[in-house]
Amino acid sequence: MSRTQGDWTQGCARLLIAVCADCGNNWYLPKDRCPRCGSARQSSVQPSGEGRCVAVTLLHVTGEPGGAPLSLALVRLDEGPVVMGRVDGDLAPGDPARVHLLPSGTGTTLLPSFSRKAVT
Amino acid sequence: MTAFLTGVGLTPFGRQPGRDSLDWQCTAAGMALDDAGLGPDRVGAVIAGYSTVANHLMPANLAAERLGIRPDVAFGMSVGGATGLAMVAQAVALVRSAAAEHVLVVAGENRASGQARTTSTTVLAQVGHAAYEVPLGGNVPAYYALLASRYLWSHGLDDGALAALPVQMREHAVGTAGAHFREPITVADVLASRPVAEPLRLLDCCPVSDGGAAFVISRAPVSERSLQIAGVGQAHRHQHLSELDPDDTGASRAAGIALGEAGMDLGGVHVWGIYDSFSITVAMIVEELGLAPPGCAGAYAQAGAFQADGRYPLNTHGGLLSYGHSGVAGGMAHLAEVAGQLRGERGVAQVRNCEAGYVHADGGVLSAHVGVVLRKASRS
Repeated sequence: MSRTQGDWTQGCARLLIAVCADCGNNWYLPKDRCPRCGSARQSSVQPSGEGRCVAVTLLHVTGEPGGAPLSLALVRLDEGPVVMGRVDGDLAPGDPARVHLLPSGTGTTLLPSFSRKAVT
Repeated sequence: MTAFLTGVGLTPFGRQPGRDSLDWQCTAAGMALDDAGLGPDRVGAVIAGYSTVANHLMPANLAAERLGIRPDVAFGMSVGGATGLAMVAQAVALVRSAAAEHVLVVAGENRASGQARTTSTTVLAQVGHAAYEVPLGGNVPAYYALLASRYLWSHGLDDGALAALPVQMREHAVGTAGAHFREPITVADVLASRPVAEPLRLLDCCPVSDGGAAFVISRAPVSERSLQIAGVGQAHRHQHLSELDPDDTGASRAAGIALGEAGMDLGGVHVWGIYDSFSITVAMIVEELGLAPPGCAGAYAQAGAFQADGRYPLNTHGGLLSYGHSGVAGGMAHLAEVAGQLRGERGVAQVRNCEAGYVHADGGVLSAHVGVVLRKASRS
């Protein structure tokens, strides 16, 4: 299972994205090579954690007993990559969103959770 | 150098306890070989799709032994829902290269009666990223629901905008022997069905079925019923939903390659078989292919565009949504149906004047795309 060192999948309270050292392309899910230029040189950076919600689902059926209902969202980060996360509070497609790393229902893992960002 | 679809086998789909995956595969394979008029000794290659129930290491060898075939080439394949058409693509490559005269392509499983629903959900959720998506609690309906949410929002549509698609698929299945569900439904029924992963409701989602499908692909026609496989095309742009480009999933690329190989454009296609695991799946694919403008697939269905006498006769057997979904065999049923139409053997459901058909399957979360163009052999 490919993971990025030091992000939420490793128990750290943050998202990380990868940035290609050669062409500046960025992405979220771990990759050995840049899908645009093929470079193997990349670094991890912490994104702002802000973006725009593009999709929300309220899930009523899960593989785990007691797992439903559960709400998930896709958020396009301001930096570009799309991140899947849980929904914290009310969030609809089109809303500005901000990520928080919150404990899962069982409290053992931190999961990216998106809430509506107050417009200032 | 072309290839021909010479044998077609499709079993009834539904909840049909008493047979295991290999039983369904071999039932369908026997039907396809009989349809082609070929004995097991004529089969040079066997390609088998995975079964999530059997989960065997060597599905093609297993089926070949049971069928009394000793092929020169045998292998299994896994490309999710696109596996059936991806196997056809490999069979075409084998006959074009003269590695085999006749290739048997087969799949089937007892997913409805032989596997707990929670197991099916968990197995299928593997198409999500193991570290970054699955731990969030998602599953396949959730991933497609996110696609549906994004689609409805980006086109300014309300939650009922896709409901006419499952209604149309059911209307086709009402007249199709062997379909999992044959009771007519209405848009109101779709909207009143229980939410599975909002905005998707139960009737937006295909069922899980038992059943099998098989084809024989050959270097030359064996009868007047043989059909030309005029073109195949594939595109594999991503695996996970987070990486999907909703404006370029790969569907159009695969179709373009297949139609280009056939020397045709969309206008030359008279009957369609498009993967419809969910209402949103078929909506996104038909729009990316250009059959309907963006956001209009549901409205096109409502207006009758996908009826047997409509502008784009689509999934005239009822599709995955109503004929049913028995794993890899589910996406093969569309090809079996289009073959039946081109052979003029669909009775009251027959599309008139059809000479060419296009079949499209996707695997994962619109991740793997395979398109196949079928044409009456007399035109070649």
